[in-house]
Amino acid sequence: MSLLAQVQAPEIDYKLLSPLLALVGGCIVVMMVGLFRSQFVRRSLVPGLTAVSLLTAVGLTIWIWEPGDSEPIIEGALAMDTLTLGLSMLFYVAGLVTILLSLRSEAPRVAGQGEYYALLLGSITGMVVLAGAENLITLFIGIEVLSIPLYVLCATELYRRESLESGLKYLVIGSVGSATLLYGLALLYGASGAMQFDGIASALGGDELSVTDPLLLTGIALTMTGLAFKASVAPFHQWTPDVYQGAPTPITTFMAVATKAAAFGILLRLFGEALGLAQLEWAPALAVLAATTIVIGNVGAIAQRSLKRMLAWSSVAQAGYLLAGVVVGTNLGLQATVFYLAVYLLMNVAAFSVVVARERVSERGDDISSFENLGQSNPWLAWPMTIAMLSLAGFPATGGFIGKFFLIDASVDGDYTWLGIAIVVGSIISLAYYLRVIAAMWMGRYEIEMPAMPPRRVKPVSGWSPEADTRAQPEVAVVAIVCAAATILFGLWPDPLFDAARDVGTALSQLR
Amino acid sequence: MTIHLSIIVFLPLAAGLIGAALPRGYARWAMLAGTVAVLAYAVVLLADFDSSARGLQYVTDDEWIPELGIRYQLGVDGLNLFMVVLTALAWVPCTLVAAFRERERLFFFWLALAETAVLGVFMAQDLALFIVFFDLMLVPFYFLIGGWGTGDRVRATTMFVIYTLVGSLLMLAAAIALGVLATPEGGEISFSLAVLEQRSVPEGTQQWIVLLFALAFFVKAPLFPLHGWVPATYRSTSIPVLALLSAVLSKAGVYGFLRIVLPVMPEGSQHWQELFIIVAVFSILYGSILAFSQDNIRMVVAYSSIAQLGFITLGIFALEDKGAQGAVFQMLNHGLVVVPLFLIIGVIAARAHGSQSLEQLGGMAFRAPVLAALFLIVSFATLAMPGSANFIGEILVLFGTFEDKFVYGLVASIGVILASVYMIRLFQRTMHNRVGPKVESREIDGLSFAAIAPVVAVIVALGIYPSFVVERTERSTVQSIEAAKALSGNDPEISVIK
Amino acid sequence: MTATSYGWLVLAFPLAGMLVVSLSWRVLPGRLAGWIASAAILGSFVSAILALIDMQDLPAEERHLVDSAWTYAATADFNADVSILIDPLSVFMCLVVSGVSFLIHVYSVAYMTGDHGHARFFAYLNYFVFSMLLLVLAANFVLLIVGWAFVGAASYLLISFWYRRSTATHAGIKAFVMNVIGDVGLVIAAFLLLDHTGQLDYLGVFERAPEVFSTNDSTIVWACIFILVGAFAKSAQLPLHTWLPDAMEGPTPVSALIHAATMVTAGVYLIARCFPLFDLAPTAADIGAVIGTATLVFAATVALVQTDLKRVIAYSTMSQIGYMVLGVSAAAYGAGLFHLMTHAFFKALLFMGAGSIIGAMAGIQDMDRMGGFRRAMPFTFVTFTIGALALAGFPLTAGWFSKDEILAYTLNRGGGFVVLGIAGYLGAALTAFYAFRMVFRVFSGKAVPEAEELEQGHLAHGEPQNPMTGEVEDTDVGFPGPEHVVAERSWPMKFAMAPLAVLALVAGVVGIPGVTDTLEHFLEPTFESSTYAEDHPSTSSEWVGLAAGAIISIAGIFVAFTFYVRRRGITLDLRDRYRRVHDFLWHKWYFDELYDAVFVRPAATAGSFGRRVIETDVVQGFIVGGATGVVRAGTSFARAIQTGFLRAYALLLFFGAAALLLYFLISSS
Repeated sequence: MSLLAQVQAPEIDYKLLSPLLALVGGCIVVMMVGLFRSQFVRRSLVPGLTAVSLLTAVGLTIWIWEPGDSEPIIEGALAMDTLTLGLSMLFYVAGLVTILLSLRSEAPRVAGQGEYYALLLGSITGMVVLAGAENLITLFIGIEVLSIPLYVLCATELYRRESLESGLKYLVIGSVGSATLLYGLALLYGASGAMQFDGIASALGGDELSVTDPLLLTGIALTMTGLAFKASVAPFHQWTPDVYQGAPTPITTFMAVATKAAAFGILLRLFGEALGLAQLEWAPALAVLAATTIVIGNVGAIAQRSLKRMLAWSSVAQAGYLLAGVVVGTNLGLQATVFYLAVYLLMNVAAFSVVVARERVSERGDDISSFENLGQSNPWLAWPMTIAMLSLAGFPATGGFIGKFFLIDASVDGDYTWLGIAIVVGSIISLAYYLRVIAAMWMGRYEIEMPAMPPRRVKPVSGWSPEADTRAQPEVAVVAIVCAAATILFGLWPDPLFDAARDVGTALSQLR
Repeated sequence: MTIHLSIIVFLPLAAGLIGAALPRGYARWAMLAGTVAVLAYAVVLLADFDSSARGLQYVTDDEWIPELGIRYQLGVDGLNLFMVVLTALAWVPCTLVAAFRERERLFFFWLALAETAVLGVFMAQDLALFIVFFDLMLVPFYFLIGGWGTGDRVRATTMFVIYTLVGSLLMLAAAIALGVLATPEGGEISFSLAVLEQRSVPEGTQQWIVLLFALAFFVKAPLFPLHGWVPATYRSTSIPVLALLSAVLSKAGVYGFLRIVLPVMPEGSQHWQELFIIVAVFSILYGSILAFSQDNIRMVVAYSSIAQLGFITLGIFALEDKGAQGAVFQMLNHGLVVVPLFLIIGVIAARAHGSQSLEQLGGMAFRAPVLAALFLIVSFATLAMPGSANFIGEILVLFGTFEDKFVYGLVASIGVILASVYMIRLFQRTMHNRVGPKVESREIDGLSFAAIAPVVAVIVALGIYPSFVVERTERSTVQSIEAAKALSGNDPEISVIK
Repeated sequence: MTATSYGWLVLAFPLAGMLVVSLSWRVLPGRLAGWIASAAILGSFVSAILALIDMQDLPAEERHLVDSAWTYAATADFNADVSILIDPLSVFMCLVVSGVSFLIHVYSVAYMTGDHGHARFFAYLNYFVFSMLLLVLAANFVLLIVGWAFVGAASYLLISFWYRRSTATHAGIKAFVMNVIGDVGLVIAAFLLLDHTGQLDYLGVFERAPEVFSTNDSTIVWACIFILVGAFAKSAQLPLHTWLPDAMEGPTPVSALIHAATMVTAGVYLIARCFPLFDLAPTAADIGAVIGTATLVFAATVALVQTDLKRVIAYSTMSQIGYMVLGVSAAAYGAGLFHLMTHAFFKALLFMGAGSIIGAMAGIQDMDRMGGFRRAMPFTFVTFTIGALALAGFPLTAGWFSKDEILAYTLNRGGGFVVLGIAGYLGAALTAFYAFRMVFRVFSGKAVPEAEELEQGHLAHGEPQNPMTGEVEDTDVGFPGPEHVVAERSWPMKFAMAPLAVLALVAGVVGIPGVTDTLEHFLEPTFESSTYAEDHPSTSSEWVGLAAGAIISIAGIFVAFTFYVRRRGITLDLRDRYRRVHDFLWHKWYFDELYDAVFVRPAATAGSFGRRVIETDVVQGFIVGGATGVVRAGTSFARAIQTGFLRAYALLLFFGAAALLLYFLISSS
């Protein structure tokens, strides 16, 4: 009784917490509703509710959007500052996109609509928590809440062994990653004696902990490994191609854009806020990782025929570019990274949704040959794909160009000019595979030898005949076109993104 | 009247978009109208241009991406005036003869985008903007070559783009580095050339930055040994596109030297002067020698352009007023001759059942005197026969080089002799000798004549009154090499013979 | 109107003629194109005379009139106008050029009738005259180079006028390239002059030159040598002469006009024009004189054995220009130009005669096939012989006065020049011999079938074929037309040949030593400033020279007479006895073979080397291949480690972590 009296619940700023509540609430509701039998409920209501909860979150986020260095909430466990909010916006968009892409896909039907969408929302919740983590515990919780639903989601197309394989692989190797991370976090705590990021920072600032303390550095190393794993940074990237290829494409899309954003969110926060003073120690290592990632990712992508696999490798390469923004540990770097994450989301979603549309109707699935002459047969899909590829390759008048420009700018500014050059060398290599896709779509028969692959059985999408199907999935085309348009728009008029990035930048004011 | 450069830049794109919106068969006419309008506007610009005024004219200067210090800055001066006119002029005949039935609207859209990009490159006064247009040029040409080319076009176009981007992406990195490193403590970053000229970068930094710029520009030009993309591309590009590629795009690189590298990084440029001159001279000899050992008529012109661009580069890096003058003039002249040259090659191939091998050709003049006459004039101009504007350009380049790089000048003048060999050889093997096996000698068709004759007329007119160009370009050219020249300490009294 | 405006007219007429003829080529009936062209040239001849009259009204010291039309190109110190210089020299050249051109135009009207390229021919011909006049009237080096190249182009076009003949086109490109070499030489010379005098106008350069250059200053010597390169390329002097014999592929009037009377003498004009520079660079002048002499001997020896009628005349042209070059290089400017004029008359005449003979032979040019045309073509016989006499320097003919005046001046210079003079007389002997070798072989002896037919009054009609290779041809565009066998039956030919014959006989009157010396006095205003203006041989010594010349030429003619008329066949024995010498001369001292081995082949080899090796191995192989190879290797590596087995992934993950750990620990300690 008196014991109870001593325990006092931390007072919580529910206003700032509201987006999370919306998500969690949505998650529970969706799961419950999903139990109903009726077709209407499953096919339409569940996705609808999911969308509603995401949109609510979006609304709330805009409502509480407040540039500046805000106090963390829940006893300093979670920071709902512009960095968190900005990134969570990306998660929400990714979530909404995933819903649209999933509408006609197999996964939710097989796995059960309720569970599928609930897991999605859960994973997003995890991401928000991760992005906002202000202490080591929250960080780990975030990672797990983010990952576990994903393991399941990857395996949702139960009848497809690739799907199961990818889920299993992700689970096993993912837990290895988490273990490493956990160990690293423990060592960090051990070295600094603080859970809070600002605590660690002040410990580094004070004289009781030197930046060259072996315990600390070991901790940094292992933490770095764990997070790099989530961001699919080489040499911890190997799960990416397999998992991306195996997973249901909507989920792949979600992972590619959202997970990456979350991982980079925490990288920025942890290394910027907590370990900022040790920048000189960890930056070189991180820079080497970045360069390796750029090279590995790009050369890995070249020989791929499966577009999902190719995009997986490309996402590895992009992770390398993004890392440059973290390495320099400056506010400019932070802004560049966030900016690029946004553009990255747009162009990848555009690309993946075209893949979704094609693989549903083409006998060759996501093989490059199923994109031949798309330019004639279906320009509404070909154009978004083209723009996405050009933007990923970093051609001007696309968001990708501005993004790379910003990243190189940041790296030169942070005395990492060679990293900037690494980025352009990477983009040069990347042309080899991005242009291949464009060539396949626009330049007639694609002149390379075809390994004889058995044409896979195409299930008619939503009851229509495969012929009609190319036009039978308007929402996918819309997603692709909107994202592509946005990519171009931000390539010509990036100011809004820049403003957002600047607001986000204010969150970590301690960065120079 | 006031002239808005943005109109010139984006008029073609507008025309292309309109064409794409129109029903089949109209796209071409929309595009043609657009190019003619651009040309007309360019002529007004030329007429209105004040050659006595210092610095840029008709400047457009707005914010574009303030966060990155990138401005939307356009302007015209003596350096790019004639490049703009050349672009506007070149696009008209090429649009006229480009008669692609399949995916017509798409073709003309890309063609339009290409013109917009090229005009942007020549007018941009902000380094970042320049690079944006410079790389943007590739997109339309990637599709034009790959979509409407012949033979192994996909490989060719991929090679073309990757090769060029190797250069221009490294240039992008270098440019950003330049912008950032030039920014003084607490100063606002800016890529505006005017600003960059005021700021200074340590010489060591300048050196590698200049080198990366040069890489991009040499690939674009192309100069030996960075011309690896040339053979494949020139073989499989359709004639009108190829004409533009060779006439206009090749100038973007060398133009960059005068617009950006020399004024902004004089120390760096001066440091590499010798190396660049050697590259140029080597390209002249190599290009010429290969030009007269080729059997494919396209290849002859291809390698001849390598030699010509060598001359231009030589003129620029002689770092001497006359040389630079000649280079700027040659940029125009080479563009002017290459367009009709390729269109004529197209006509020839049409009369030889598509064959482009000198072995198979010959005797074309037999029943086509007009065609032969046009070809003759163009050939003479190309080999810079005295009396052509090209001669004035070349003699200025040579004089500039002689000033204190006399030996290089002598070697380069061998190129002049070789030029006469390969051009006359080209003319004879196609027009003269016995009528070739597969050749049917038909007179040039009206459309091609309408496309070629006006350009030839311009060539002749310039030959009679070259100072029309020279007096307009002089001021800005001298200005752009001023700084580097001062460093190289050219002493006009030095003569090698003594 | 002033002299200069007449000067512009001189240029305007042929230009207009060219434009009219070339633009209305479709509509002009029959010979009209030819008549228009001829009229144009007549017009410019008349204007030249008017310019002369106008100029002579001025006091001697004011006879340099420059008039500029518009700025050609001006930047930095490079400053060239489109401007003409009217002075005795240029007017003299205008008169010679336009006068001879007019006659040859008229001749061509007949000669080219029925050729399908009729209009094109006269367009080219007018273009040539325009260029030549531009060359002689130009007032600065840039415009000179323009005219210089234009005549080169015109000569190229006319050499390969029958453009379906591979031999003709080949000769054309050869001539063109050689001429470009000359142009480049002039460009370099122009630079050196501009660099030091800061001028491109003749008068400016000549004015500043003495101030900036000491005598034999290396720069001025080099400048003059480069000028000589230009002059020699154009005037077919050693070692840039090989194009001229091949140039005989062109129609005969072309050979008469361009490759005998006018263009090839441009080099002589240039040296005379630049005399102030050569005065400053005696070394260069001496080089010129030596090469001139060498050429005149060389060409004369070759002419001894050639059997192609036109090529013999071509070599004799080369040799005669050698005299002129020797003359102007030895500061005998007046004499050189005097010979230039007389040579224009008798050489044009010889070619016209050759043309009508070849016509009669239905295109055959080989003298071995000719003979006994005396009765068949009396008119041609007379005129041709007159030409030959003048060429041989037979007493009282024009050639006698002009050639021997050159030699007299040369000997007068003393020192090494004496050797050159003696060589000149040797050449004269050879000249006399080969000149009459032609006459006797063509006209004397028993008549060949063609000659007999001609006597019956109808022309030989051979199968149309290439006289050099014997390939069968048709008579359409690009090949000689059917009616090339007009012989001397057509009045325009006679109309053209008659005055030239007269001139070849009497033109000497303008330069009879001590008696008239008209030309000398006329040209004085131009050359008076020359350092050698004063030292010319005494009249007596000139007459001695003339006497010597007379004896030598008569001797030469006599030898020819014995060889080819009195004791026919002796030549064959000689040929067999001195087989080596004969072959050596027959192969023109193996110059073509030499150049082929030294320039043509190496260039071709370099080309194929570049194509085969550099392009494929270095550019594609090393640079492109290398880059792609590296990327490929990376790709295969990335795929190799991408086994798909979790254990492998986990392993790498741990290695990665370990590596990071290691790095941090090392950096910490």
